[in-house]
Amino acid sequence: MLVARQAVQDKITTVKSSIGNTIAVSPAGARGFEGGGEALTSAQMNTVNSITNVTGVTQTLSDRLTSTDTNLQSAITAGSLGARAQNNSGVGFAAPPEGGTIRSDASSTSAFTQITRTFTPPVTITGANDVSSASIYGGDSVTFTSGQAIDVSKDENIAAIGKGLAEKNNLSVGSTFTAYGQTVTVVGVYDTGNTFANNGVIMPLAAVQRLSSQVGQITSATVTVNSVDNIDGVVTAIKAALGATADVVSNQTSAKTAVEPLESVKTISTYSLLGALGAGAIIILLTMMMIVRERRREIGVMKAIGSSNAKTMLQFVSEAVTLTLLGLFVGIFIGIFAAQPITKMLVNNSSSSATTQVQGRPGGFARSGSTTSTALRSVKNVQASVGATTIAEGVGIAFLIAIIGSAAPAYVISKIRPAEVMRAD
Amino acid sequence: MLQVTNLKKVFKSGGAPVAAVDNVTFTVADGKFASIIGKSGSGKSTLLGLLGALDQPTAGEIKVGDKDITKLRDHKLIRYRCEKIGFIFQNYNLVPNLTALENVMLPLEFASMPKKKRTERAKELLGQVGLEEDQQKRRPGKLSGGQQQRVAIARALANKPQLILADEPTGNLDSQTGKMIFDLLHSLSRTENTTILVVTHDLDIAGKTDMTFQLTDGKLKKKPGSR
Repeated sequence: MLVARQAVQDKITTVKSSIGNTIAVSPAGARGFEGGGEALTSAQMNTVNSITNVTGVTQTLSDRLTSTDTNLQSAITAGSLGARAQNNSGVGFAAPPEGGTIRSDASSTSAFTQITRTFTPPVTITGANDVSSASIYGGDSVTFTSGQAIDVSKDENIAAIGKGLAEKNNLSVGSTFTAYGQTVTVVGVYDTGNTFANNGVIMPLAAVQRLSSQVGQITSATVTVNSVDNIDGVVTAIKAALGATADVVSNQTSAKTAVEPLESVKTISTYSLLGALGAGAIIILLTMMMIVRERRREIGVMKAIGSSNAKTMLQFVSEAVTLTLLGLFVGIFIGIFAAQPITKMLVNNSSSSATTQVQGRPGGFARSGSTTSTALRSVKNVQASVGATTIAEGVGIAFLIAIIGSAAPAYVISKIRPAEVMRAD
Repeated sequence: MLQVTNLKKVFKSGGAPVAAVDNVTFTVADGKFASIIGKSGSGKSTLLGLLGALDQPTAGEIKVGDKDITKLRDHKLIRYRCEKIGFIFQNYNLVPNLTALENVMLPLEFASMPKKKRTERAKELLGQVGLEEDQQKRRPGKLSGGQQQRVAIARALANKPQLILADEPTGNLDSQTGKMIFDLLHSLSRTENTTILVVTHDLDIAGKTDMTFQLTDGKLKKKPGSR
């Protein structure tokens, strides 16, 4: 049970950390470049930042640079997926190339004219007030192939650009490009290992706000909370502070759902452990009482020849400790082989109902590839092993059992008078 | 010197006080071998328990050397028992799961003697009482009654006590072995200058001691003719 409890506790910690302690805040009705709504403001984020348990707010303003906004060429080719977007309106569509086709359908009797437009995947520009997290760059990790990250505290026309974008446009540290009609200097080239993310531009938030004429506005924010356990409270506070202007999303519910079965296994393990502790203490108590009773004469003799109460009691307590440590070693040996199947059985039994609940929700949130679904899928994958912590806890519990179990016998020992033993001779 | 003055121990039996030891007064000089004889229930073991500081008297004084042990309490009493008294019991009362050597080392351990020294001392004592080296490594169950009593004598001598109290030391032994044990105690009282007080039923043995006391219903009388 100790091993199962430890394994489950480790898993809970892993699930919680994999789901993260962040909250996403976006304008109501917007998601990335989809949807609509009104931008949030940095002033609103300052309010959020002052909420208890919030340790930081990363604000971003994202925009798409069209060919009219920049001289940068996208490093991503349209391909069949991009071509599918041809029928969509919006940014990313350039005017027909020079000498391109503005085709008249002669066979038609109508005066229909079809304009063939060329789709170019856009270059995404992101202004951020904190670039320490790889997620700002759009990847799980980021490395700078040359130069360095931008200094977000400066309202300057400086940028870090993705590796793909730099290669496509022959840019390196110190090179310049235009954005919103102004010259921007490259200070760093980064690599996220992600083709889409390597086609981006990262600039200080203030600079993007100024260049795009959106001063004080942001399109998303990531709120960091000091503990996963405080996420619920902070979400409520943010919703209260921002009202209907923002959509606030956290993975807390997902985290709860993911760890619920584990929590119940942990509870079962804890109570079983306490039960075993109590039973162990009673067994040791009865065993020691029997031993003390059988060795009453020996105790009397030891006292008669000069052993103090403390020394005599210590001898019997150390015998109890030895007994429980022997039990511990046997327990560890059994635990090495039995812990994994027992833990697996407990987790499987407890998590099957939770999984059913998740799958049963319409439009379930456990989308393939999401962090949450990954965490949920990994919930059953609990690895029970007898590690140093388990052994240390086991030793601690063994000592506790021995001390509790030998307390009463020790009292009996202290009351044995050597003279009584002589009379019994 | 063992000096007992007006020693009294009263128990309550069925609500009525019974004096198991009643105004006992006697003296045994250093290095003397004394015996107490008496019938069962005469108070011999109670008297021995009082002399060994295993029990507190109702009244009276017991002086070993110049110290009144009836005034000692707690750790001083334990220390007194450890360093000044040696006990020999009829049933030997050796610790069964320890070897003969370890049994003799036990009081030395209680007296906080370093392990090397106590091993040497225990071996020396067991040699003195005639136990061979291979016998020293045996547990009491693997020794004869006489050998066990020799181990008990060695254990009693371990801390060079001033007084050895022996309760029927030959009671469980055949006459020949009993005589050997008695002779051993006798010679030890001479060589170690230790006062020995033996409680016995055996009048032959009692007759060979330096002085004999008769205990009857808690009252002690020096046996006429004893030295």
